[in-house]
Amino acid sequence: MTQVQAKARKLTIARAMAESIAMEMRTDDKVFVMGEDIGELGGVFGNTRGLYKEFGSERVKDTPISETAFIGAAVGAASDGMKPIVELMFVDFFGVCFDAIYNMMAKNTYFSGGEVNVPMVLMTSTGGGYSDGGQHSQCLHATFAHLPGMKVVAPSNAYDAKGLMTAAIRDPNPVIFMFHKALQGMGWLGTEKDAIVNVPEEVYEVPLGKAAITRTGSDVTIVGITSGVHHGLKAARELEQQGVSAEVVDLRSLVPLDRDTVIQSVRKTGRLIVVDEDYHSYGMTAEIIASVTEAGVPMKAPPQRVAYPDIPIPFTPVMEQWALPSAEKIVKAFAKMKENE
Amino acid sequence: MSTDVLVPHDLWEEDDEAVITSWLVNDGSEVSEGDMIAELMVAKIQYELLAPTSGTLSIQKDIDDVVAKGDCVATIA
Amino acid sequence: MTPTQEQELWMYRHMVVSRFFEETIETIYMEGKTPAFNMAKGPIPGEMHLSNGQEPCAVGVCAHLNSDDIVVSTHRPHHVAIAKGVDLKKMAAEIFGKKTGLSGGRGGHMHIFDAHVNFSCSGIIGESVGVAAGAALSRKMQGKPGVAVAYLGEGAANQGAFHEALNLAAVWKLPVVFVIEDNAWGISVSKQASTAVKYNSDRASAYSMPGVHIPNNDPIEIFAKAGEAIERARNGEGPTLIEIETSRLAGHFMGDAEAYRPAGEKEHLAEIDPIPGFKKRLQDQYQWTEAQDEALRGQARELVDAAIQFARDSDYPAPEEALDKVFV
Repeated sequence: MTQVQAKARKLTIARAMAESIAMEMRTDDKVFVMGEDIGELGGVFGNTRGLYKEFGSERVKDTPISETAFIGAAVGAASDGMKPIVELMFVDFFGVCFDAIYNMMAKNTYFSGGEVNVPMVLMTSTGGGYSDGGQHSQCLHATFAHLPGMKVVAPSNAYDAKGLMTAAIRDPNPVIFMFHKALQGMGWLGTEKDAIVNVPEEVYEVPLGKAAITRTGSDVTIVGITSGVHHGLKAARELEQQGVSAEVVDLRSLVPLDRDTVIQSVRKTGRLIVVDEDYHSYGMTAEIIASVTEAGVPMKAPPQRVAYPDIPIPFTPVMEQWALPSAEKIVKAFAKMKENE
Repeated sequence: MSTDVLVPHDLWEEDDEAVITSWLVNDGSEVSEGDMIAELMVAKIQYELLAPTSGTLSIQKDIDDVVAKGDCVATIA
Repeated sequence: MTPTQEQELWMYRHMVVSRFFEETIETIYMEGKTPAFNMAKGPIPGEMHLSNGQEPCAVGVCAHLNSDDIVVSTHRPHHVAIAKGVDLKKMAAEIFGKKTGLSGGRGGHMHIFDAHVNFSCSGIIGESVGVAAGAALSRKMQGKPGVAVAYLGEGAANQGAFHEALNLAAVWKLPVVFVIEDNAWGISVSKQASTAVKYNSDRASAYSMPGVHIPNNDPIEIFAKAGEAIERARNGEGPTLIEIETSRLAGHFMGDAEAYRPAGEKEHLAEIDPIPGFKKRLQDQYQWTEAQDEALRGQARELVDAAIQFARDSDYPAPEEALDKVFV
């Protein structure tokens, strides 16, 4: 993610997603987009901005509020040779259309003995931190990653967003593309400067299932995805002040999961903190810790997780901000590990 | 010689102040006239700031800074 | 069914209270959000869906309900909550995220619950219908009186849940009324672009229930038709579907640029604002005077101001209270 460009152009994640989709649509007429308010409005989170103007309503289709129908339709179209990209506006809304996703999209390849491909991308917004309440603020990473048959990616910055989107569209399998609202660069959800990075103008892919070492270090490995990476980076800067060298691993993909990169990192540092804005129990944090433990990696202290408590996301900022993962909580987790050594 | 990058008076209708939500080029990098270099937000709407000329961009105002129409946010030399 | 003068005044008063409430929320919502519109900031963070213009849908229906009847509303719930008798102070405090709020700040503006008057709502499109049908089923099974009303937007009628619940309610002859507030827009997508039928009320015929179309956002007409539907439900004759063509005077949410609206639409909607229309009706029918109107408005303003002051003065909950109330 440090390719130097002559012009050193940067993008927000929202723009990077739209650019990737537009570039694929220009070269592959099978790619089309469906979703609520993704047409003229450009998506509630800006990730289809400009597509309607360039490609028109035949290929950039606003849908009724009928997720069961249009995500099911994407499965059918993908099985018949098209490459649909559909948007589920908030991941919290998956309930109404999950059959189309996990019983159809994710299983049709298997049920057909590999004869039927389902090359579709389902992009969906995640995350909270801005008091949108418990039906518009969840991450639900593990809910999707738990179920076999679909790849799951989630970028923390614009470079990865463009490359992962390109790879996702080209992948012959269904891919869930989860983007965190607060990292979109829309302004009205605050701005995470570290998510707005240099993005090449040409087409490129970031491979699905390959984690990135976002920051190298030797004393502790902090593993995260989307917002968790940024909390990890901030914590690493604070730990540096204390003379602690933290390595930050951005998983980028939950499925396939790059266990090797995490295991190698923990072999080096001997300590592991896993950060996730998704719920604490039965989640990504547990999966990572289990994977490292199963691999027999010797650790200097019990691994720690910093995740969302097992409660519906509260509205009021005093509760919500208290419950969210943060750099401070990661630093505290590290201190706790040191006490136990 | 350097050119000030001013917030255009016709970028949005009213005279509300805006907030810089992104710089879309690195400080100190080359830009071409017409390149999108930043996004400004008024209320909940983003507006695109284009480079008025070609040259090397020097950013004067940071993300989250409040700016008004006519303010200088960068220079291009 | 025509309202009495007393009922008309009740409807008008609740419309005025609701409008004052929304206008006040609109102003306060922007506190701390200029010039940077950061949704997390200010005394009222998060999304805000205002109901300005849709008040007739609330009062015309709720005028027939008592606190024992059940209402399940939508992500745009304030007007219905007010008409259903939800505690205004506690609702305001909830919207401010205060300890004294209906849920102690856990729910927020899209999740207004007041069990004392059997009101609830949710931010998930189309999910009101099943819940209302179930509440109606409960009353029937328990042999208790009472009807349930589900509110939904016109966009929600394209959700499977809507069709499933209508069928269920019809098969089981449940005492429930489905009220579609057709404000013509699902965020930026028009009803015309998203819906195969002109009137969702026509869809009632697929479920062998009466389908009633009310074209003009007229509180008196809504009162009449809702009254018949609720009476039908109370008499054990089964469900009714009502669709009201109403007006969303504001954006989908605060900060909506509304660029999708055709030129002149906002101005037209302002011209047919139901509140001045109702006032004129009162003047014509009951010699309603400016002095009376001023008095009513003054009382409404006081009610809203008191609720807002209560919300402002209340304390925030302790952060750890987030862990309570997940289970009882």
